[in-house]
Amino acid sequence: MPALLPLLLLCLRLLRAEPPAYPAVISPQDPTLLIGSSLTATCTVSADLRLRAQDLYWTLNGRRLPAASYTALGPTTLSVALARLNGSRQQSGDNLVCHSRDGGILAGSCLYVGLPPEKPVNISCWSKNMKDLTCTWAPGTEGETFLHTNYTLKYKLRWYGRDNTCQEYHTAGPYSCHIPKDLALFTPYEIWVEASNRLGVAVSDVVMLDILDVVTTDPPSDVHVSRVGDLEDQLSVRWSSPPALKDFLFQAKYQIQYRVEDSSEWKVVDDVGNQTSCRLAGLRPGTVYFVQVRCNPFGIYGSKKAGIWSDWSNPTAASTPRSERTAGGCDPKGGEQNTTLRRELKQFFGWVKKHSYGCSNLSIKLYDQWRVWLQKSHKTRNQVGKEPFTLLSAHCGAVDPPVSPSPRVASKQGPALSAGSTRR
Amino acid sequence: CALRARDSWGIFAFLCAALCNLPAVPALNGTEELGAGQSIQKTYDLTRYLEHQLRTLAGTYLNYLGPPFNEPDFNPPRLARAEQVPSATVDLDLWRGLTDNARLAANYRAYSRLLCYLRGLDGQVGTVELRHRLGHFCSSLQGLVLSIAGVMSSLGYPLPAGPAGPPAPPGAPAAPNDFLKKMDDFWLLKELQTWLWRSAKDFNRLKKKVPPAVVTLRMEARGF
Repeated sequence: MPALLPLLLLCLRLLRAEPPAYPAVISPQDPTLLIGSSLTATCTVSADLRLRAQDLYWTLNGRRLPAASYTALGPTTLSVALARLNGSRQQSGDNLVCHSRDGGILAGSCLYVGLPPEKPVNISCWSKNMKDLTCTWAPGTEGETFLHTNYTLKYKLRWYGRDNTCQEYHTAGPYSCHIPKDLALFTPYEIWVEASNRLGVAVSDVVMLDILDVVTTDPPSDVHVSRVGDLEDQLSVRWSSPPALKDFLFQAKYQIQYRVEDSSEWKVVDDVGNQTSCRLAGLRPGTVYFVQVRCNPFGIYGSKKAGIWSDWSNPTAASTPRSERTAGGCDPKGGEQNTTLRRELKQFFGWVKKHSYGCSNLSIKLYDQWRVWLQKSHKTRNQVGKEPFTLLSAHCGAVDPPVSPSPRVASKQGPALSAGSTRR
Repeated sequence: CALRARDSWGIFAFLCAALCNLPAVPALNGTEELGAGQSIQKTYDLTRYLEHQLRTLAGTYLNYLGPPFNEPDFNPPRLARAEQVPSATVDLDLWRGLTDNARLAANYRAYSRLLCYLRGLDGQVGTVELRHRLGHFCSSLQGLVLSIAGVMSSLGYPLPAGPAGPPAPPGAPAAPNDFLKKMDDFWLLKELQTWLWRSAKDFNRLKKKVPPAVVTLRMEARGF
């Protein structure tokens, strides 16, 4: 049938799977807009497709736009009205798409919505060992992040020289640049940052600096922390000055910070001066401390300004000696009493040896043996303080104890003590 | 080690050779095939690694393109322009019937082209992180192309002539607008994914065909 022929031809054409090069055209194509502006876009379908305006619909970033915002401008043209646009969801542009009724994509347009850049601010630079220069800055406004904004750091020597452009970006964060070489000393540099995006350009204020005023260096090496003899509350910190700057004349200030192992609060020692050692005092005995040191190479080549503090050295750990007064973890409840008593006993036995006869084999060992026996016989610890004198008498004969009240003297031997009551 | 050329014994023989004799294998013709076997294994491993890398890269890149590109069921039309990217899809019988040479050549040509397009992607992409990932992926993909070339030469096949270096492939104008470019990027990643799936199967097939029989023969010759 003749009516079927064009239909057949159409089917054949479609079956040949040759899609039309551009099934539809959107206008405007890839526009750039300010935040808050409005836009009317149109989608015009190619005549080949036999689609009409009412067969079309719009989506923005995958979300269907309400039909109320559509207007048919012609048999094959549908428009959509977008009001008060927000900043682009992604820097590659918002995806505004014209679809046919079955969901197929006919055309699309990328909307770039944002703000023109503002002057970059807070330019700050530092030079590592006077060899290079790294600068960071901050964008002038948050609105720039909706669009891709290009930042260019430029620098030139004051009074002469051409503009140079920094090449190595993002070395210290997204807004940073690194100048690795060919830097001059003793003449200030002028540094500025240019920001540009689709909506405009902005140039920061010029910052003037001398490389020598912004020098930083590596953290001090070979940081050693050690005890100070038996002192329980002190640690000695020793380090070497950073090797990279050893040939340059500078004064170097140091700072130490330390903290207890299980705390996050650092204590800072500020007035270390330019020595390479320091003693920390007022510490807790028997505690592990972490210590870090950093260096500020100020006064390089007579520069009057403070330099820039280096990073902290890797933490070094050390512990203060544990005091015998401190309750140990190993001894049971009587522990505290125990260690005090032991010290006293040792001193006492020493004295006894000097001042009595026949007690040459008296020592703390004897006391320990007696203690063991005591435990076996289940005596209570309260009696501990008094027993040694009783024992003494058994071994040495009468001895006048220097301080304590005279104990009852037992005439029997040690083990027999258990029979007698020695409670006071 | 058995002297039959069946697959499982062949693999066992190959393993024996690898574990016990590798340093001692003399530089006979045998080593070329032995070398090819290892190259094929390495190439196979590389395709699996790239497939894994691509998953992360594609995820990040499609998020950068924004919805609907990063939606799982997204299926835009392939416009005439997109035909430039070599397709991995092929008739099953045709694929089975490919000679080793044709199989390897198809892979080589496809990845060389895909590498070119990927490199073209690099300069315009927004975030630093994405640029790094892309750069890393391109290096790995370059490694794959070289690996395939290595297999071909060790098997004595000539390398197909094609786009050797980075310049834009001839006759491929830049997409006329940003949205069409996004669609091209989408199809590039899709095609890359399909090719990596297909290559794993290609190299698996080659693995089975090339080393074991030859190695077993070599071992026979040496009196094992």
